[in-house]
Amino acid sequence: MSRFFAGSDSDSDSSSEEEPIQRAPAPVFTFSDDEEEVKRVVRSAKEKRYEELTNIIKQIRNYKKIKDMSSMLTSFEDLQKAYVKALPVIAKEESGQTPRFFTRCLVEMEDFINEMWEDRDGRKNMSKNNSKSLASMRQKLRKYIKDFEEDIAKFRENPDQPDDEEEEEKHEPEPDTQTEAPAKAVAKISKQIVDDEGSSDSDDWPSDSDSSSDSFDEDEGKGTMRERFLKKTGPAHEDDEERDRRKEERRKERKEKERRKVKKEDEEDGEGEWEFVKGGIAIPSEKPKMFAKDAEIDLNLVIKKLSEIMAARGKKRTDRREQIELLHELQNVSDQHQLGPAIYVKIKFAIISAIFDYNPKVSDAMKPEYWMKLLERMSEMLDLLLSNPQLFVSESVTEETENLEEPPYKIRGCVLTSVERLDDEFTKLLKECDPHSNEYVERLKDEAKVSEIIDKTMKYLERTNAPSELCRIYLRKIEHLYYKFDPRVLQQKAGEIPRDLYTSVQEMEKLCKFIYAKDGTDRLRTRAILSHIYHHALHDNWFQARDLVLMSHLQETIHHSDPSTQILYNRTMAHLGLCAFRHANIKDAHNCLVDLMMTGKPKELLAQGLLPQRQHERSKEQEKIEKQRQMPFHMHINLELLECVYLVSAMLIEIPYMAAHEFDARRRMISKTFYQQLRSSERQSLVGPPESMREHVVAAAKAMRNGNWSACNGFIINEKMNAKVWDLFYQADAVRAMLTRLIKEESLRTYLFTYSHVYDSISMATLAQMFELDKPVVHSIISKMIINEELMASLDDPTQTVVMHRSEPSRLQSLALQLADKINNFVDSNERILETKQGNFFSRGMNQGNFRGDRQNYRGTNQDWSRQRRDHRKEY
Amino acid sequence: MAQFDLTSRMGQYLDRHLVFPLLEFLSAKEIYDETELLKAKLDILSKTNMIDYAIDIRKQLYPNEEVPEDLKQRRQHVVAQLQELQQEVQPILKIMADDEVMKNMENMRDSKTLINFLSKDYKFEIEMIESLHKLAKYRYECGNYSVSTSYLYFCMLVLPPNDKNYLSVLWGKFASEILVQNWESALEDLNKLREYIDSSPNQFGGNSLQLLQQRTWLIHWSLFVFFNHALGRELIIDMFLYRPHYLNAIQTMCPHILRYLATAVIINRVRRSALKDLVKVIQQESYTYRDPITEFLEHLYVNFDFDGARQKLHECQSVLFNDFFLISCLDEFVENARLMIFETFCRIHQCISIGMLAEKLNMNPEEAECWIVNLIRNARLDAKIDSKLGHVVMGAQPLSPYQQLIEKIDTLSVRSETLCGLIDRRLKARTDIRWGNQDF
Repeated sequence: MSRFFAGSDSDSDSSSEEEPIQRAPAPVFTFSDDEEEVKRVVRSAKEKRYEELTNIIKQIRNYKKIKDMSSMLTSFEDLQKAYVKALPVIAKEESGQTPRFFTRCLVEMEDFINEMWEDRDGRKNMSKNNSKSLASMRQKLRKYIKDFEEDIAKFRENPDQPDDEEEEEKHEPEPDTQTEAPAKAVAKISKQIVDDEGSSDSDDWPSDSDSSSDSFDEDEGKGTMRERFLKKTGPAHEDDEERDRRKEERRKERKEKERRKVKKEDEEDGEGEWEFVKGGIAIPSEKPKMFAKDAEIDLNLVIKKLSEIMAARGKKRTDRREQIELLHELQNVSDQHQLGPAIYVKIKFAIISAIFDYNPKVSDAMKPEYWMKLLERMSEMLDLLLSNPQLFVSESVTEETENLEEPPYKIRGCVLTSVERLDDEFTKLLKECDPHSNEYVERLKDEAKVSEIIDKTMKYLERTNAPSELCRIYLRKIEHLYYKFDPRVLQQKAGEIPRDLYTSVQEMEKLCKFIYAKDGTDRLRTRAILSHIYHHALHDNWFQARDLVLMSHLQETIHHSDPSTQILYNRTMAHLGLCAFRHANIKDAHNCLVDLMMTGKPKELLAQGLLPQRQHERSKEQEKIEKQRQMPFHMHINLELLECVYLVSAMLIEIPYMAAHEFDARRRMISKTFYQQLRSSERQSLVGPPESMREHVVAAAKAMRNGNWSACNGFIINEKMNAKVWDLFYQADAVRAMLTRLIKEESLRTYLFTYSHVYDSISMATLAQMFELDKPVVHSIISKMIINEELMASLDDPTQTVVMHRSEPSRLQSLALQLADKINNFVDSNERILETKQGNFFSRGMNQGNFRGDRQNYRGTNQDWSRQRRDHRKEY
Repeated sequence: MAQFDLTSRMGQYLDRHLVFPLLEFLSAKEIYDETELLKAKLDILSKTNMIDYAIDIRKQLYPNEEVPEDLKQRRQHVVAQLQELQQEVQPILKIMADDEVMKNMENMRDSKTLINFLSKDYKFEIEMIESLHKLAKYRYECGNYSVSTSYLYFCMLVLPPNDKNYLSVLWGKFASEILVQNWESALEDLNKLREYIDSSPNQFGGNSLQLLQQRTWLIHWSLFVFFNHALGRELIIDMFLYRPHYLNAIQTMCPHILRYLATAVIINRVRRSALKDLVKVIQQESYTYRDPITEFLEHLYVNFDFDGARQKLHECQSVLFNDFFLISCLDEFVENARLMIFETFCRIHQCISIGMLAEKLNMNPEEAECWIVNLIRNARLDAKIDSKLGHVVMGAQPLSPYQQLIEKIDTLSVRSETLCGLIDRRLKARTDIRWGNQDF
């Protein structure tokens, strides 16, 4: 095979669509090249060096055409090296003058690079790799060209002068300007024929232009092959013209394609096609190399072969696909000869890593067919490892201590890392799919398989019993477990199924406890705790979840952890909020969710999608990183549900509060988001019947403000809201009943706050009837209000009425009270200033308007605070 | 009544010897089977050296059986060992017998000078302390608590606080003092122990779990002191409710302690302010622990369900009656609980019929009326009785806005004055310094 083609094979990294075009004519060319090789048996040093140079220049031209900057950069570096090598020859033969074709190449390159650099739009569309290469190429070329300034100047004076060596008019200096191409091509072809007869060496030059044009032809079909032969055998001007025209057309086409490619680089079908064509060449040329036919196949031979194959891994020229196939074949060979489980595992390892290697970009997902292969290989390997207790796989085994021949086998490798990689690949694969397509569902079916693999790995690792590894695999398991809802847990809690049944909650408990006890790194433990809380919250274990949160003190440290852990924290808090809501702990629910909802971008905080960006808020790289962090769709938390729960809990807290502090100057907002909703609806001149979830909540809030509980209830719980929100809960009816009860209670409170001034006394029986509540409940609510001094009233026991005290201050009085408050504040702040001046820092007033602080510390410190405040009073 | 008995839960955190009083109490109450209790006692005794006591209980349990040989043998062995240990620490015992030396010792400042003094004059060696410590432990195991107390006292005097035995000496001393019912010094030891645990977290290698365990033990052991010492009822609130570490320990390890805390708060009339904090804690832990006492508070202060509270009060009485620690404050509890119900009632109502009140307080009407009259007479209640209708009419008037205003402004001038005073003082201090500087 010619070096040119070997080279072009290796640049498949760029995975451009043009490659099929270039590779397609390979069979034909190998054939013709072979002929040349016969001729080329004896060559001078000059010929050799020059051939090298021209080969590289050819490559550069090709890359230029396809605008593959990174490959061009490497080729350029090769060219420099080759030129250094060729220097002595040049000094001898050309009396130190730079060969003209070399200068031409430099000039062309310079022009091309400049053009590319100028083309800003094009540059923007380039892949990151390419644009980077372009920049460095430009730098390098500039530096390099300085040495040849004289020659280049000479060349530029007279670019059309034939190359001194080839004596041939060649390519247009700028490959992208095609207008003058036809004429030159004519000249070129005619010269070429002469050359063919003359020196065999000169073949290289025209063959470049041939190969490029041929390759375009090939794209169209086999029919054009004729043209090539025509061209080679005789002058065929018409043909050439026609061909050039077509070339031009195709080039336009190609440009367009390229543009498209940049847009959707990850598109699969292009690659699939590419593979098909490629398979044709690679296999027949490489396969026979496996083993000599009559060789006695034994362990050593296989190991040798394996290491031979593996040695090629990661090299530029290695065909990764072929490697996988070779390894599979090797596997078959070793199976046939029954060389023992150790080598089997060893080869499996090799295959797995080869499949991982297959995808050059870490950010992209694998192709499904390789994914399936990977899954199979992985579970095969694990099965073998599990059934064979004498296999010892570890990273601590060095190459020398490896023992593949007899038990106990020792193999170098790490199952855990492979499995972790596999899991990561799976996530990537899922994110690649459209979540609403069947494809996603199909892929998601593999989740069971992945879980199974993880289970197997767990079993395997439990055998070796290394805590740190176990922790890692347990965490993987946890991450596959924590977001899944297990209805058996709730059934068990209700006593429908026996206590001793092993549910996911118990499993989580076991895994997490192991990690808590054994883990040395903070990150694993943090993630385990968060997942544990999430799982508890998901299964309505509110108290356990809450206690875990409080005991872990994660709220204080979570800001210092990595983004993915923070995302997990946000997800956990979201579910904790939902759980609190189901348990009718409205305040807690509100506190859990307020951080998420206040920013207005819960979607981003939960990594469930990126917001459309405003004015380049993030760069491309940032966006890429953020995309990598996104959660796969099946793990998403319903945002509408979340928002609705938040708004409803805000309503239940805020509306009575508003009613109670209607004239209070110091009233503060509890929920900003909720206020925004309310205000925006107030601004509307005409309010129609509610449509969206938010409008429903706002309408309900307005009804509640008037104390109209049934209207409020009707807005919150109806067909629409059921379908949108409430039916998403597992026990939707229980949640609805809870909501109705709370709405009644809070409406009663609001009613009393709002209308107490029009009553002198009000019978509790009437109230109970109005709000359809039990009398003890009404009694309890009113008592609470009286005790907390929210309601200036007292109960009259014999008549069962609430007697209002009518102590609401008049306008003047309330203003005076406000003034007094202000003065109090003033004195307070004066004192504070003095305190800080004295270096006596108090965290007083910290809890004003700081809901979170309250929550975070409500186990221990809160009491401290209140005490502190009391102490202060005493001082004064 | 067994469902509210906490002995088995408490037992986990108590020393073997400390469990005996509890078991004795239970057998007196006869809520458990007597033979089972005896068996439990025997089981506990098997690991101690109180062989005689064990033999006694065996006789009670199996009156027809002979005392097994190995017990007798063990008895001899124990006595022999005791002799041996006593031999080892003869010099110390001599020192201890000498009153004058002991007096001197107590006046010594720190353990180093003490050791110097002792080793110079009395052939004392620091290694002996080790043996003395062992002997004290042995004595304790045999049930000679008072002897062990004095030995351990000596140890404490001599040992520096960073000695590895120091903690166990403290615990031993504490336990012995409890068992000899010397509450004054027990309280002293309790404080020493608490300071030691709180102040030296590094003592436990930063192991918070161990620290938590130590605290949990301390909480349980201290119950003996708190419910027997005169000041205990104040101190228990301070320690359990207002020391975050201990409150944490209660919440995580032993929420059942809330019963004792709740009782202490209820019977403590002066510290009503603690109630609010306590109710918060009770609500938080209501899912892990509830008993009639905590429920009583919940009914009264969370739900304002007076009927429920009344019922719970009734249950509380029997719980208290069967609790080793609480039985002594049963009457006080009932009285205060009634008062609490009544107070809350009065705060909410302006007019109450005596009949209903009597029912809520588990009293008959006449008694209730009498009780209220007493309350009014002691000026703890601003109310009047309408005897014709059988009503109590509250006299409390709502705060008028004027009064509110006055209340708010009341302190302002004082506060401003102190502020001014502070600033003045600071200014003066500054000028003083300046003067001082000029001198040099």
